[in-house]
Amino acid sequence: MKKRLGIISLFVILFIAFVVVWNYSYETGKEEAYIPIENNNPTPVIPSETGVFKRSKYALDYANMPVDKNHERSLKTYYKNRAYHGAPPSIPHKVEDRNMGDNSCLKCHENGGFTAKFNAYTPVTPHPEMINCRQCHVPQNTQTLFKGTNFPKLKAPKVGINNALISSPPIIPHQIQMRENCLSCHAGPSAPKEIRVTHPERVNCRQCHVINNKETKDIGIFIKEIKNE
Amino acid sequence: MYNSVTNRRSFIKKMAILSAMTAAAAMFPGIVFAEEQERNLPKGSGNLEWKKAPCRFCGVGCGVLVGVENGKAIAVKGDPKSAVNKGLCCVKGYHSVMSMYGKDRLTKPLVKKNGRYVETSMKEALDLIASKMKETIKDYGKDAVSIYGSGQWTIPDGYVASKLFKGCIGTNNVEANARLCMASAVTGFLTSFGADEPMGCYEDIDHADVFVLWGNNMAEMHPVLFSRLLDNRLKRGVKIIDFATRTTRTSMAADKSILFLPQTDLAVANAICYEIIKNGWVNKSFVKKHCNFSKGLTNMGYGLEDKYKFKDKPEKISFEEYKTFLEDYSPEKVEKISGVSAKDIKYMAAYYGDPNKKVMSLWCMGMNQHSRGTWINNLVYNIHLLTGKISTPGNSPFSLTGQPSACGTVREVGTLTHKLPHGVVMNPKHREFAAKIWEVPVENIDPKPTYHTVEMFRALDRGDIRFMWIQVTNPMVTMPKLKRYRDGAKKEGRFIVVSDIYPTPTTDIADVILPSAMWVEREGMYGNSERRTQHFEQMVQPPGEAMSDTWQLVEVAKRMGFEKQFYYKEDTHIEEIYNEYRKHHVGKKHNMAPLAVLKEQSGAMWPYVDGKSTKWRFNAKYDPACSNGEEFHFYGKPDGKAVIWQRPYEPAAEEPDAAYPYWLNTGRVVEHWHTGSMTRRIPVLHKAMPHAYVELNPDDAKRLQIRTGDKVKLTTRRGEIVLPASVNERGVPAPMQVFVPFFDENMLINDITLDSFCPISKEPDYKKCAVQIEKV
Repeated sequence: MKKRLGIISLFVILFIAFVVVWNYSYETGKEEAYIPIENNNPTPVIPSETGVFKRSKYALDYANMPVDKNHERSLKTYYKNRAYHGAPPSIPHKVEDRNMGDNSCLKCHENGGFTAKFNAYTPVTPHPEMINCRQCHVPQNTQTLFKGTNFPKLKAPKVGINNALISSPPIIPHQIQMRENCLSCHAGPSAPKEIRVTHPERVNCRQCHVINNKETKDIGIFIKEIKNE
Repeated sequence: MYNSVTNRRSFIKKMAILSAMTAAAAMFPGIVFAEEQERNLPKGSGNLEWKKAPCRFCGVGCGVLVGVENGKAIAVKGDPKSAVNKGLCCVKGYHSVMSMYGKDRLTKPLVKKNGRYVETSMKEALDLIASKMKETIKDYGKDAVSIYGSGQWTIPDGYVASKLFKGCIGTNNVEANARLCMASAVTGFLTSFGADEPMGCYEDIDHADVFVLWGNNMAEMHPVLFSRLLDNRLKRGVKIIDFATRTTRTSMAADKSILFLPQTDLAVANAICYEIIKNGWVNKSFVKKHCNFSKGLTNMGYGLEDKYKFKDKPEKISFEEYKTFLEDYSPEKVEKISGVSAKDIKYMAAYYGDPNKKVMSLWCMGMNQHSRGTWINNLVYNIHLLTGKISTPGNSPFSLTGQPSACGTVREVGTLTHKLPHGVVMNPKHREFAAKIWEVPVENIDPKPTYHTVEMFRALDRGDIRFMWIQVTNPMVTMPKLKRYRDGAKKEGRFIVVSDIYPTPTTDIADVILPSAMWVEREGMYGNSERRTQHFEQMVQPPGEAMSDTWQLVEVAKRMGFEKQFYYKEDTHIEEIYNEYRKHHVGKKHNMAPLAVLKEQSGAMWPYVDGKSTKWRFNAKYDPACSNGEEFHFYGKPDGKAVIWQRPYEPAAEEPDAAYPYWLNTGRVVEHWHTGSMTRRIPVLHKAMPHAYVELNPDDAKRLQIRTGDKVKLTTRRGEIVLPASVNERGVPAPMQVFVPFFDENMLINDITLDSFCPISKEPDYKKCAVQIEKV
């Protein structure tokens, strides 16, 4: 009897111990239901260098081109078919479906030129290597809206206020991802008159014009305190 | 009444706009601005005055016009009259005046008392420096005091420093940071030609047909000259070959980008010579008349140990021996070492060898900060000498510089331990010559050189040097293997004086901080890479008690009892010093232009003889110092012949291995100059490039699962550092290599670089050491 009681109590103790250990390990092994989001300090973006010099072989032609005042684009029309500053422009003319960019869009938009049909100079794309154009650029097939929108538009940077000193070259007031090739928008007959560069032949643009990270994060100025021990 | 006021107001307003417009139009001659573009330009009030100066930043030495209004410098434009840049600047130049107006500008001397910096007067601070110097000399001897300057010293700064330390105190403890950037170029010139500095000039760019850039990211580091290359390509169709270890903005612009493995440029240069000889492209009459062949010692070591000594033993060899030596460097063999295909080597050799193509080789830190820096300089000269493509317009091996007066002050005034303004301390005649002009006893000048820069900081660590005066440079960012030298400088019993314009990591180790007047806050001269000396006047007042480095030194010299040698008057001292300095360079080989000429025009190139600059040295047609009656005369060498050197390929001091499998390369970016102590205080530049980063090859990044912005830990045998990653952004390193720009004092890459140096030039190799990388 005594012996049996001993065996039973041993098992009881073992069982209790098991329950305790199991509970403990269950509790400690419990993970929180979500992984907390770490606040990443965003690193200001240094733009890629691809395409910086891509159109430079046309630079002299751009420099020598007379300005056709009657068919100039302006920033007003430039931004007209962009939903906000930085948005891909919509296509302001009719396009055929079932075509890839390289055998349709690029025919005109790779190098530009005058199109009698639209009585305008064709804008040049800064990224001709991306040929699935209609992934981002869509035509506007109706002028009416489905419901209307209260979308607050991101304002475009102003021209002429980006110089630090009276004679210093203006900084680049916009992000340049996919727009690394400056000459495609800032030179030639399709360039909006306000942003057409006076000196396209100086092809190393970013020798003088640098980006400003204000668009992603204002990082302030650089100073150092004198350290006392 | 009311109306007239409005009218007057609007009239004044219109006048202001008009003057801003004329100012803008004058800046870009011949260019009409669209109304929209100029409407919002910041406006000057109309009292703007433009004064000429060389740019404060790199060694190109662009001519700039500084716009001064009401005692402040408010604008910069390129000087169209300058032959260097013809009116163009880079982003640093256009914003350079802003570097004078940072919020934390030093305006009062600070003296460290019980661990705290206390403001004092300039007089008190200078008294303290002089007495501390005297005390140190008394206690530890004259070789315990030293001065460490830079290639940003103006000519008068460097000259009075050399005169005070070498001539008066009698120690050769004079060094400058140009040791860290130009020393290999100097020893390259001296060993190959016996005379320092390029034979050609920037005008070569307008004549050459092919440009080979040896490890030189010119698009970012010498952008104004690179623009001249691009300009020539548009107009004349020249070819640009980028020969480098990393894909950069320059590679993007080049017609051909060829990548080689670090250190193997030695082998490739030899392979080009092999091809030239094999294909019979040697200019035989030129080589016969004007060249010798020599070899030197090999397996020189890397200077990693304290008190390392090396002296080369040149030995003449024959052309046949040289040819046999080159047998090991056939393009096919070199392909295996360098990773450059034999086809690419032959492609480059063919341009060098083509007698109808004028070739210009350009290089800067890639070849100079090299553990065999002198050798690779020699090897590139070999190519030009073998083909006779030298010293003629467009045929030019051209060594570029990084500081505004690395040539003008450090190399010409000679602020290096072994140098005198004319000649070297080891030569008794040179000592006598200098002593006479300095009005000191000849015994004052010590015939033995003391420490080169790395060894000088090692001596400071060891305690052999007790007093160091640092001017216009930031060694606590730029020294390789930085931690050792920072800890050394902080040791008890060291007294450090730092003259600077802003607080830097170097002022952190100072016992006395002197506020300096920079650039156009004082008068001075710089000398650029094409032997051009340029003058600038004082245009604005320095802030607070800030004082020019020249006058700081003069004041201390007087306090130490050298009034006789430092007789200069405060109003005219720059002119007096320059006129005295010119006496050292009298003669057709190195005559400096008179000050009146420098004030009149945008600089002059020495040798300045009979009122004319010399564009191509060693060429009898252009250089009046040629005297052997031949077409060329390499008069730097006693026999008038240049030397073709037999220099082998040897590996770098520390190459990647299993524990540290990547190469670590360091360098610079277009927005920042040097350690960024000036450019980072220019908001436009800081915002464009706010901090350093580590560039990875996209394949390596993918394997390690690192994306742009991720934190990456770099570990070398010296220590570790964490940097944000950059993948496919500004530059793309080759596989198993990483690159870090070194302007950022908050991410000191030099804490982990290696202090190996070229045994001949003693210039450290910042571009090669082994590193491990991991994502953190």
